[in-house]
Amino acid sequence: MSTSGTIIFGRRSTAQLLFALGMSLIVVFSLVPAVGILAVSFTDIRSLPFLPVSFVGLDNYRTFFSSAQLGYNLNALKNTLVFAIAVTLLQNVLALFIAVLLNMRLRGRNFARAVVFMPTILGVTIIGLVFGLIFNPSGGPAASVWGWFGSSSAFFGDPSLAMPLVIAVSVWSGLGVAVVIYLAGLQAIPPELHEVASIDGASSWQRLRYVTTPLLAPSITANTLLSLIGALQSYQLIYVLTGPINPATQVLSLAIFTQGFGGAQGGTAQSQGYAAAISMVQFVIVMIVSLATLVYLRRKETAL
Amino acid sequence: MSAINAPTAVGGGVVSVEDNPPIRGGSAPQRGKVVLYALLVLVVVMYLYPLLFLVNTALKSDAEFISDPTGLVTAPQFSNFATAVDKGNFASYLLNSVLYTFVAASLGTVVSLLVGFPVARGYVKHTRLWNATFAAMLFLPNTLITVFQLALRLNLYDTRLGYILIMASGVGVGPLLVTGYLKSVPREIDEAAALDGVGYVRYVFGFLPTLIKPVLATVFILQAIGVWNDIILATILLPDASKSPVTLGLFAFKGTYVSQWSLLSAATMIVAAPLVATYVFLQRYLVASVVGGAVKG
Repeated sequence: MSTSGTIIFGRRSTAQLLFALGMSLIVVFSLVPAVGILAVSFTDIRSLPFLPVSFVGLDNYRTFFSSAQLGYNLNALKNTLVFAIAVTLLQNVLALFIAVLLNMRLRGRNFARAVVFMPTILGVTIIGLVFGLIFNPSGGPAASVWGWFGSSSAFFGDPSLAMPLVIAVSVWSGLGVAVVIYLAGLQAIPPELHEVASIDGASSWQRLRYVTTPLLAPSITANTLLSLIGALQSYQLIYVLTGPINPATQVLSLAIFTQGFGGAQGGTAQSQGYAAAISMVQFVIVMIVSLATLVYLRRKETAL
Repeated sequence: MSAINAPTAVGGGVVSVEDNPPIRGGSAPQRGKVVLYALLVLVVVMYLYPLLFLVNTALKSDAEFISDPTGLVTAPQFSNFATAVDKGNFASYLLNSVLYTFVAASLGTVVSLLVGFPVARGYVKHTRLWNATFAAMLFLPNTLITVFQLALRLNLYDTRLGYILIMASGVGVGPLLVTGYLKSVPREIDEAAALDGVGYVRYVFGFLPTLIKPVLATVFILQAIGVWNDIILATILLPDASKSPVTLGLFAFKGTYVSQWSLLSAATMIVAAPLVATYVFLQRYLVASVVGGAVKG
């Protein structure tokens, strides 16, 4: 902050007014709901409007850890962590390799870059339908491949396979953005460094490990955090692929949706106070995991 | 290998990247290139195969799909598309999505500019507090419940306006990207404009956008991706099917025509085709924009 705070455009009030105008949208529709979640988590508010709302203290949190709910919630928590960690690791490792590949002087690399980024534009429902078709248990291409080995599977309907498949589809969809961020980082590395390294006899693997990776550390930190926070809170794709109530892929975000809205469209008098309590539990977990990861990655960055 | 050949290459005065292959010499680079191209093809196939398979299925009749679900289509026919158009109402879903995405992302981008600029320059007080707020906005809890309650109480439930305002307010990294990028834009430009008598409003809306176009494009596209892909908030806030965005409309269609894969594939193609066509024209710009603002930030 080198600025002294002097205003140069006449009156300060115009800047303040426009700032307040912009902030008011964020405050009303984003920050108030965010703070409101904490308040609502201490009430028995329901999805039907204008029912009386009363303060219930920590009841919703007690319910969360009660023996009737704990199994369900621990399962959702486990699924959330498995999903987030697997997606983050796979996505970043694959994106790094693909970005290095697409940064080389190969014919067709622009086409490949465009193709990898395309799922971002298609959106979750199209992706969900495409992979529903590919993993259609009665006669999709994946079923044929399973058939070659004399095996069969219900794929998204198979409790042991649903999560790995959801993870794979998420990585497939999210690679594009990660690749693009890595490409930007790669293009900031001066090519002279690679030339010097190869003159010194470094193999291409050694150059990737000792030249590219350390210089790409800021991009790696950014990408890892982005995909980790995103994956810990994501549910759109899981909702489309396996629905809101499948225990094999139930994550905390989907639990909020199911508890608050019954998994069907509005209407039912679900306990939204309890759903808000799940939001708060998820929020604390996201904070802890992402801050721990940030500290770890920053240390790594300086060590490299 | 490269160590042996390096001295001759150095003698030749290697500077540019194109001169790289001769450094290695021999047949190894040839083999290396083949591997690289094989990997490139593999990546492209991983992404194109699912979509081509979708096209293949959409062209099949029900009978052909049942008798041979994975084979190449033998008697292509377009009746699936006619049925899907007839029953799906996809044009209005697409229009809804375009409206929501364009308006919400534009509004969000303007808001990011309006709040990011004065904080970056110190034209409002408490810049530290606001910067901390911008950072905290990345870690907000899941607000499905309160957003729903807010919409109910403000009479914005089941209205396009309510959905757009809520989607627009989710600016995420927007203000942070704007303040970050503005560090590379000299303050002297503000001062020169002010000396020439340009007012704050005219500067922010008329001059600033051209100065920081890359970051505004990034902010717009990041938010547009979020709105475009939303299905959960739309499910909660827009129960009336005529207001559904295409994510929700297609999902409902899937629920109605379960396992009629050739029809579902045709419907998916109808939705995907305009997107792919638009993307072909915009992709250079899109891919560059996602990182354009982040690079300097």
